[in-house]
Amino acid sequence: MQGSDRQAAVRFENVEKNFGDVKVLRNFDLEVQPGEFVVLLGASGSGKTTALRILSGLEKPSGGQVYIDEENVTDVLPKYRDISMVFQSYALYPHKTVAENISFPLKVRGMAKDDMDAATLNAAKQVQIGDLLDRYPRELSGGQRQRVALARAIIRQPSVFLMDEPLSNLDAKLRGHMRAHLKHMQKSMGITTIYVTHDQIEAMTLAHRVAILEKGVLQQLATPAEIYNNPANLFVAQFIGSPPMNVVHGSLNGGQFTTNGVAIQTAVTGQADKAIMGVRPEDCSIASSGEGTLFGKIYTNELIGDHALVTLDWGDDQISVKAPKDFAGEQGDEVGVIIHPDCLFVFDESNGQRIR
Amino acid sequence: MQRLFEAPAIGKMSPMAKIFAYTLLGVWSFFVLFPIYWVVITSFKDMAAVNQGPFYIPFVDFQPTLEAWRVQFSEDPYCTVSAIGRQLWLLVYNSAVFVVSPVVELNPMEPQICKIYLAFTNSFVISIFATGLCVLVGSMAAFALARIQYAPRFGNIMIFVLLLVVVIFTVTYYGVPWWVSSSVALALFFFLLRALRGYFKMSLRNGDILFWIISQRILPPIVVVIPLYVMFQAVGMLDTHLAIILLYAVANMPIVVWLMYDFFRNLPIELEESAQLDGATRLRIFREIVLPLTRPGLAATTLLTLVLCWNEYLFAVFLATVKVQTMPIMVAAKNTGEKGILWWEMCAVIVVMIIPVIIMAILLTRFISKGVLMGAMKG
Repeated sequence: MQGSDRQAAVRFENVEKNFGDVKVLRNFDLEVQPGEFVVLLGASGSGKTTALRILSGLEKPSGGQVYIDEENVTDVLPKYRDISMVFQSYALYPHKTVAENISFPLKVRGMAKDDMDAATLNAAKQVQIGDLLDRYPRELSGGQRQRVALARAIIRQPSVFLMDEPLSNLDAKLRGHMRAHLKHMQKSMGITTIYVTHDQIEAMTLAHRVAILEKGVLQQLATPAEIYNNPANLFVAQFIGSPPMNVVHGSLNGGQFTTNGVAIQTAVTGQADKAIMGVRPEDCSIASSGEGTLFGKIYTNELIGDHALVTLDWGDDQISVKAPKDFAGEQGDEVGVIIHPDCLFVFDESNGQRIR
Repeated sequence: MQRLFEAPAIGKMSPMAKIFAYTLLGVWSFFVLFPIYWVVITSFKDMAAVNQGPFYIPFVDFQPTLEAWRVQFSEDPYCTVSAIGRQLWLLVYNSAVFVVSPVVELNPMEPQICKIYLAFTNSFVISIFATGLCVLVGSMAAFALARIQYAPRFGNIMIFVLLLVVVIFTVTYYGVPWWVSSSVALALFFFLLRALRGYFKMSLRNGDILFWIISQRILPPIVVVIPLYVMFQAVGMLDTHLAIILLYAVANMPIVVWLMYDFFRNLPIELEESAQLDGATRLRIFREIVLPLTRPGLAATTLLTLVLCWNEYLFAVFLATVKVQTMPIMVAAKNTGEKGILWWEMCAVIVVMIIPVIIMAILLTRFISKGVLMGAMKG
């Protein structure tokens, strides 16, 4: 199954979806290149699953068009779209064996039994469950069920793969393992894949490009590195990164950000009475009291393992800093924080947009 | 003392509660089982043993006799042991008659044969076909209601009913040929449907349709039995298998729809969505995914319908006079002989009647087992 020639491009054009008065998806535009792995990332209720279901045809958009390979499929039935989908719940047929589950898409197409058996074994081997073919889903572990669902999706070599939080029901260790497996498989098969998740680590590690959604609106579509290094707005900046980005309220005047009477030089130009400065904990470092850009009393000091996370009060805000693991500051100690000026983002508080 | 009344753990009962519960169960079981025992022993009594007072234990209180059974089976010249093969043939024959009778003129075997066999085969054929039809159509209707959103406009339904009344009126009182008036009405209906599109706002939801179907069963059957008699008389279907089968299927449809609707609603919809994406048609999804997964529910519903059809008396007594007499009528007939009530014979017939129900229940409970859905979803 090396290098499928059935890579398809996918395009959402101005897609809208309303459930009654609730606007789940607004003005959604997305273009996916052939063979690309795009992750739709967002909190629950952000519209990411709805977008996927619209592409699958299980849901009809309230407005806009959907294209697969330049063909308008907005009104095409799901079974004619040549897509396969892995559901969050796996959706295995409990009364069929693993082999029957995997071969169901081929059986529906009326494939000859011998060809079907060969393809089933091939697909099962690809996800390393070749020895489980006679079992029933209830006799499998969560990870094995996940693999059966994957095998059922890859067996007919669709032009687009859809995955709806496929790893969210697995435990942490297995999830990491399956993530690597998925990435490897997608790369070797080269099938266009659209993957929905709320887990930023999955998004960052798997995707060629990440699309971040919030309240039905696409916030940013970019490579994982771009999203991390160059967030388009405050939402994206806070959504990506763990621990999340620090936010400090203040005002922007020219290139100078002022907060609690302290002025910080920034690379941006612009004017905003109410602005927010964002800086990631890993881009700050702890200095002794009196030194550094900002200073305050330690709120708490948590040892994570390879580093310590130090949180201190700054006005009404709190600032977290990644400190060396041997940092020994106690709660209430006065410390300073050094902020690297290149790693500093400024956002307009009124609309959350980045000021560059 | 306290230990007698307090449960030792959640999921366990206190000793007193246990005694109470088991006593209650015992009383209830006695209440349910004693009549069956009574019927069985009465079928082995003779007239004297019945009339001279309650005797409870065979061989002790009274001497059992096969008299009642002999009268049923061997006094009838057609009820010899050698005739059993012929009676089995009758069963097959009567089933075939039902299937081909709309096409080929073919009469069921005439009732000169042993009465109890006739009634038995009639009951058998009618119950099986009525249940099959009822469960097939009813479960498909329930699936449609569970998965498809319907919204028929209230106004459109009113127009349809109005036009139907007009059709009946013109046919009955003005002698308009029925096909003329109904095609005009149908054309008018579609025209009005188009012309008034968007005019009516109020529409029925799936819940309303479901309730409408269930409400058919709320009506006492005695209310409709006379109109049904007249209707079947008008179309010349009195005393036919087909009439009884259709009637039983329709009468039990609400129960099937109601029960199966719930089973279908509880199926995870992802299974069907997945099959849909994999290219399966709705009928295939129904047959290959949905039905196997609702098998316990289907078995329970089938059993219930089968028993209801098997025991039905009221419709049968009106619509099945001679040729399609069923077992319940046979039982009741023992009540009205010129020799008074033949309790012992009645009980013999009842025993014959309840044995198949017990067998069916045992066979079908094998399907009514839990855990079928295990492994479909996460876990």
